[in-house]
Amino acid sequence: MWYIAKRELYDNFNSLRFALATVLLLGLMLTNAVVHLHEHPKRIQKYNASINESLTDLTSRADNLYTLAQEGPGLLYKKPSTLRFCADGGEPFLPNVVGGAFLWSISGGLRGFWRLNYPSTTPNLTDIRPNVTKVDWAFIIGYVLSLIAILFTFDTVSGERERGTLRLILANPIPRHTVLIGKFLGALISVGIPLALAVLMNLLVISTSSAVQIGADAWGRLGIIFFIAILYASLFLALGLLVSARVSRSAVSLVILLLIWVTFVVFVPSTLASIAGGFSSPMSTDELWQRRGELYAKRWERYDAYFAERVERSKEIQFKGEHVIAEAEEQERVNEEHLAQQIAQVKFARGTTRISPIAISQHLFESFAGTGFERHLQFLENTKTHARQFRKFIADTDSGDPESSHIIGIREGMSEKPVNPAAIPKFEDTLSLSKDFNAAAVDLLLLTLFVIVLLSGAYLAFVRVEV
Amino acid sequence: MLKTLIRRELLDNLMTFRFAAVLLITLLLVVVNTVVLTQDYEQRLESYNDSVKRHRQDLRNSKTYSTAYLFIDRAPNPLSIFNVGLDKRLGNYIGIYHGFMPTLWDARMHGTDNPFIAFFSSIDIVFVFEVILSLMGLIFAYDAIAGERERGTLRLILAQPIGRGQILLAKYISAMACLLVPLILSLLFALLLLTRSIPLSTADFLRIAGIVLTSFAYLSLFYLIGLLISVATPRTGTALMLAMFVWGFLILVYPNLIRVTVNPGGDIQARVKTAHNQIQQIIDEYERERQKFLENEGIAGETSEFSKALGFYHQADVNPVTLTTYIENMSVISEIRPDFEKYVPVAKRYYNFVLPLATRTVEKAWRIRKQALDEIYVRQARMDRILLKLSPVGIYDDATQAWAGTDLLGLRDFFEAAQRYRKIIIDYLYAKDAFSSREWFVADKGAVDWSTLPQFTFERSDVRTNAKRALPDMFLLLICNLVLFMAIVLIFIKSEV
Repeated sequence: MWYIAKRELYDNFNSLRFALATVLLLGLMLTNAVVHLHEHPKRIQKYNASINESLTDLTSRADNLYTLAQEGPGLLYKKPSTLRFCADGGEPFLPNVVGGAFLWSISGGLRGFWRLNYPSTTPNLTDIRPNVTKVDWAFIIGYVLSLIAILFTFDTVSGERERGTLRLILANPIPRHTVLIGKFLGALISVGIPLALAVLMNLLVISTSSAVQIGADAWGRLGIIFFIAILYASLFLALGLLVSARVSRSAVSLVILLLIWVTFVVFVPSTLASIAGGFSSPMSTDELWQRRGELYAKRWERYDAYFAERVERSKEIQFKGEHVIAEAEEQERVNEEHLAQQIAQVKFARGTTRISPIAISQHLFESFAGTGFERHLQFLENTKTHARQFRKFIADTDSGDPESSHIIGIREGMSEKPVNPAAIPKFEDTLSLSKDFNAAAVDLLLLTLFVIVLLSGAYLAFVRVEV
Repeated sequence: MLKTLIRRELLDNLMTFRFAAVLLITLLLVVVNTVVLTQDYEQRLESYNDSVKRHRQDLRNSKTYSTAYLFIDRAPNPLSIFNVGLDKRLGNYIGIYHGFMPTLWDARMHGTDNPFIAFFSSIDIVFVFEVILSLMGLIFAYDAIAGERERGTLRLILAQPIGRGQILLAKYISAMACLLVPLILSLLFALLLLTRSIPLSTADFLRIAGIVLTSFAYLSLFYLIGLLISVATPRTGTALMLAMFVWGFLILVYPNLIRVTVNPGGDIQARVKTAHNQIQQIIDEYERERQKFLENEGIAGETSEFSKALGFYHQADVNPVTLTTYIENMSVISEIRPDFEKYVPVAKRYYNFVLPLATRTVEKAWRIRKQALDEIYVRQARMDRILLKLSPVGIYDDATQAWAGTDLLGLRDFFEAAQRYRKIIIDYLYAKDAFSSREWFVADKGAVDWSTLPQFTFERSDVRTNAKRALPDMFLLLICNLVLFMAIVLIFIKSEV
């Protein structure tokens, strides 16, 4: 088996395709590294600046617990991933901030309490430059490496048959599956070497710069990403072997492979997603505003009805506080519902694209690089957790003040003492590998399944090959 | 003899597996994507109609001139199904206001129910062609000469009394005839599906014909690239491999690299800043003149009784990124208290003075802004486009965008129309003496009658303009074709059998 693999390797190393593939991958990875070094420090700088601004803002409100509670924790920023060069994941398009909106006045001298408000996306309406895909690892591996894998395997079996050497090999006392595995391993190594070279150079360039630091956790993630890349490449190698074993001429084999590749890699993801997206229609922005308006109006009707009669002063404050809090909660719930419907639509569309291996690999790269849609959901989850923490902090601090009448939501009912700025919970966006792994497990299994199915297909085809 | 050769080649090509496979894939992809795109277009059209209705309603509900919001909408272009270009990306509605110059950098977007769905890039028919036609051209060409050489039939043909150029011509003609089948057939299917739900005008059909013509030139270019490789390499295997690497580079890699190579430099920020300062100066001057007027009339000050009586809202601002200049003058009141009635003549004088001043100021700022925007955004986009043209994909994309009218120029037409409409509205306001009327700021003695307001209409540029815009790129494609063909003939003549 190793003998066959070695022979394949020597064959490949001397070929034009090996040289071309190496040059192409090296060039792309180098470009990727240079661009990352150019862009990432700016991104980090911007993030730090925004965080500091948000923090100063928060401290400025700390002199009064009521103001702090009413105006909320300010803007919560998404932390840019160090591994953004692995997968861009449409990050420029996703919002990087969740805001807490509050109303200056909800009439009657009352002020609205803050609620989480999700900006939808940040489409750049002024961009008139041509549309391009970001050259990240996901692109290089997803498109270029898969094409290279096909170009390395399309003639493995059919080429040998054409040249007549297949007879020679099979005449030796080696079982056919050993031959096949040897060929597979040979191809895998000869695709893996240019990739490993390119990846190493990319990481070398990135890690030598002091501006971009990759932590131990990130190195682990990079390892997983490399493993996924190899798995993804072996999928296409197996496909190449399968077609090559079934088809008598290598030219025909390449044509079939290319057409399969174009369909599944280039077209299926976007087309399927567009079709799947059409199945559900989430709440539109107009609808959202309408629902919010209705809820708001209803809440005020109740308010007016309550005050139509004479009420005791203490009860009045109690009611007003409840009114303010309920208003904020209600609005937040509608916001969340709106967001959840949008997310469900995107999730469904993403799910259907899993037919295409490139979509699976894209999802995996995004999960492990900490970018993209799943990561965005994690960020949203983090902001929700923080909102809960913040509200708990307000309630706790308020209950610690003996002068307050502990009615959250209204100035008269709350403590107005200054708060220690250091004690306020600060939002820090975190990335957790275990959560990523859960999201990625299905994709990883699916990818492995594809590889196994295709490899066994190739085995069956090869066993039945007539020489 | 040429005829015999063409017939032989034609039969050879038509009976192959690759022909069937290519035909099937092209048909499938074009049909499926057409269905998806048509649905998408209908959705956009619906949202456009809704938006037009809503904006009309909003205008009818406004009682005074100063609080009226006049918006115009950009209809989706039906040919965006072929090449979406900038049609879906730029804003599709914009305000018309005397103190604001509408440009494509200020338009806003309606009608995206779930903006997250834009994650998934949409595929238009030209994109399908970009990928598939180029692949087809190469797949048909790689063994045209190399294959015959391997099989030894090249000697046989060359032994006949026929020129080498003619052999190439025969191969070219027959292969192109074959390749046209999937192109035309899939387009016919697409048109069949399209016209069922989207009415197309004669001009649109002519534009589509232009797109087909460009596609043909693009296809031919890739066939010739394949032929060149086939002539220059001795073995089909090598030829195919090389062809695929060339394809991967031209289609996949290069177009995505251009934005990396021309990175916007730091001087852009400086350019924006200088323009911003210049415009700020113009606004300051406007502000000074306004204050002078207020002082002369003895009604200066934000908290003055005059200001309170009329519920003034005034804002003059320039956006530091897009340089949008905006001067707003309005009164937010439903009636004038009887004891403030004495201010009405002053208010009329004020508005009559300040509104033409604001109009002039904004127009003056626009001259600076236009230049800055051209230098910052348009030049960069043009640079990208030129670099993109080093790959045939870029030329093809440009030409088809120009035909479809979804390129920058096509979209600019709309915003120029919007600017003209602004002028018409201002003239209309002058004609009605609206600036010095009571209805400008208060509606207690009769609301504004909007029925005589000129309507906005926008016609896409005529076919001749589209053709004029597409012609340079088509010419470029043609030249590339000719040069390649000549190179192939030269190499073939010198090659040994």
